[in-house]
Amino acid sequence: MTAAAHPDAAAARVRPPLVRPREVVLGGVSTALGRHLGARPEVVRILFAAVTLAGGAYAVAAVLLAGNLFAEAIGAAPVLLYLWFWALVPREAGTPDAPRTRRVPVAAVLLGIAGGLALLLPFTWRLDQPVPLGLVESAAAAVLAIVWATTADARDPQRAASAPVVRSLAAGFLALLGLAVLLGAFVGSRTLVAIVAVTVVLLGAAAFVLPPLIARWNARAAERAALAREEQRSEIAAHLHDSVLQTLAIIQNRAGAGSEIARIARAQERELRDWLFAGTDPFAGDLATELRTMARELELAYAVRIEVVTVGEVSEVESAALAGAAREALVNAARHAGGDVTVYAEATPDTVEVFVRDRGAGFDPDAVPDGRLGIRESIVGRMTRAGGTAAVESGPEGTEVRIALPRGGRA
Amino acid sequence: MTRVLIVDDHSIFRTGLRTDLGDAVEVLGEAGDVDAAVAAIAELRPEVVLLDVHLPGGAGGGGAEVVRRSAALLGEVRFLALSVSDSAEDVVGVIRAGARGYITKATSGVEVAAAVATVAAGDAVFSPRLAGFVLDAFGTAAGAPAVAASDDELDRLSAREQEVMRLIARGYAYKEVASHLYISIKTVETHVSSVLRKLQLSSRHELTAWALERRLL
Repeated sequence: MTAAAHPDAAAARVRPPLVRPREVVLGGVSTALGRHLGARPEVVRILFAAVTLAGGAYAVAAVLLAGNLFAEAIGAAPVLLYLWFWALVPREAGTPDAPRTRRVPVAAVLLGIAGGLALLLPFTWRLDQPVPLGLVESAAAAVLAIVWATTADARDPQRAASAPVVRSLAAGFLALLGLAVLLGAFVGSRTLVAIVAVTVVLLGAAAFVLPPLIARWNARAAERAALAREEQRSEIAAHLHDSVLQTLAIIQNRAGAGSEIARIARAQERELRDWLFAGTDPFAGDLATELRTMARELELAYAVRIEVVTVGEVSEVESAALAGAAREALVNAARHAGGDVTVYAEATPDTVEVFVRDRGAGFDPDAVPDGRLGIRESIVGRMTRAGGTAAVESGPEGTEVRIALPRGGRA
Repeated sequence: MTRVLIVDDHSIFRTGLRTDLGDAVEVLGEAGDVDAAVAAIAELRPEVVLLDVHLPGGAGGGGAEVVRRSAALLGEVRFLALSVSDSAEDVVGVIRAGARGYITKATSGVEVAAAVATVAAGDAVFSPRLAGFVLDAFGTAAGAPAVAASDDELDRLSAREQEVMRLIARGYAYKEVASHLYISIKTVETHVSSVLRKLQLSSRHELTAWALERRLL
């Protein structure tokens, strides 16, 4: 009992790692701290919010009432602490491209803060400050809102739609703020304020112009990279097609259809083809693909060369019975006949037919002993049960297995 | 003995094929690119050109370009396409340019010699894959336009031509097709040549679109 309880107790003492989740309210810091310390994330979040609000209120009051500029730094301390955690705590492991979502509309909140600080301007203007208090802060908040809307929110699926609106509002706000302060600066003839105001106006203009430019530049770069990759791929494909595939064909030709070397070369050729032209087959997962896969596997296992020809389109493997019976016929041909085997599959709107023909010595289908289930059970029985037909014709020229299944009539 | 020109940009393949063909044919010469091939055909006047579909040089048109540039000689020189490509675009392209058959490079020397003889006799050589392409391209499987009423209709296959193509696609040799359908080998050859003519002359734009769509498999 104690021995069993011990590891549990040890596990309980180990704190969960300090990582930020991917779906967060603001930055994931509160959740991370809460999980790590064993506290409820809500409690941590409320603590952060309360301290931040108190600090902000203290800063505004101290500046307005006593003109104490250092109060601002003290008031900003909780925010700085949050940012410090945010920057240093790693994000939860996951795919790099997985979207990150935030429940708080950060950009909009920043824009709100900018607006609130701008409302302070009429009061701080009268204080004897070189630059009216709240102007730089308000402009900074607006710029942050633009940056956030352009970078983080543009990748967030929930905010992608609203991000451009917030960005435009913030840019317009910056321009208005700059013009208003510029006007006031000329009335009060304060050069420094005028400089700050002009900077703010320029920032607003830049915020309008830059993000679309950056977005277009990024898209162009991504397009160029994709094009370059595609070009490189087709170049490699063309080269391999002209060199390696040719050589593999020569090897097969020189070594003879049934030989070990030809078999390996053939398997390699198929593999290379699949790799080269991967994704160009629009009917992947259909009967044709299924038959080609079977052929490749059997060519590896037996001294056989299987040519698969398909006509018509089968959007899916019509039935497991058809594929299973075709496989059995192919295995028989590969095992007992070897050499060249032709598989022909034809899909019409009414039926799907598969023909497997080999060049072996042939056999008498009626003389196959009862113990051998291959043809009677795996091919004929299976097709009959599925509502189709199967026939075997064998002679000295080889054997042909015919499988047919009506379409739409299957169970 | 059939006079043959081997056109392929791989010297190992040319040498190998030459050895494989042995005494069955008389190899007049070899060429490694489009321009050399066109010049050699004009000069040597072979009966049959064993033509690689992918060839460097010229305007980049490969084997099809060789056939097109030798169009004036198509009456006396016949082309048999030889390729590692299973692409419908390549195969149908070189056939429509004027080649009289298509076989894969993995085909053994004996079979190549037999195909050369068939082509030299003015008949067409269809591999199972080419027969499959024809059936697919003429939409016989899609059940759409019914079979041609007469053998002269260019855009459709007649019922008999379809049967012949199906059997070839199933891996039957001409002789076996003949005995299966109770017709003579000569009749089978006539049907195959007729299908080849349709493949070359049919103006069905879907044929090219279809080949492009299939790409390489």
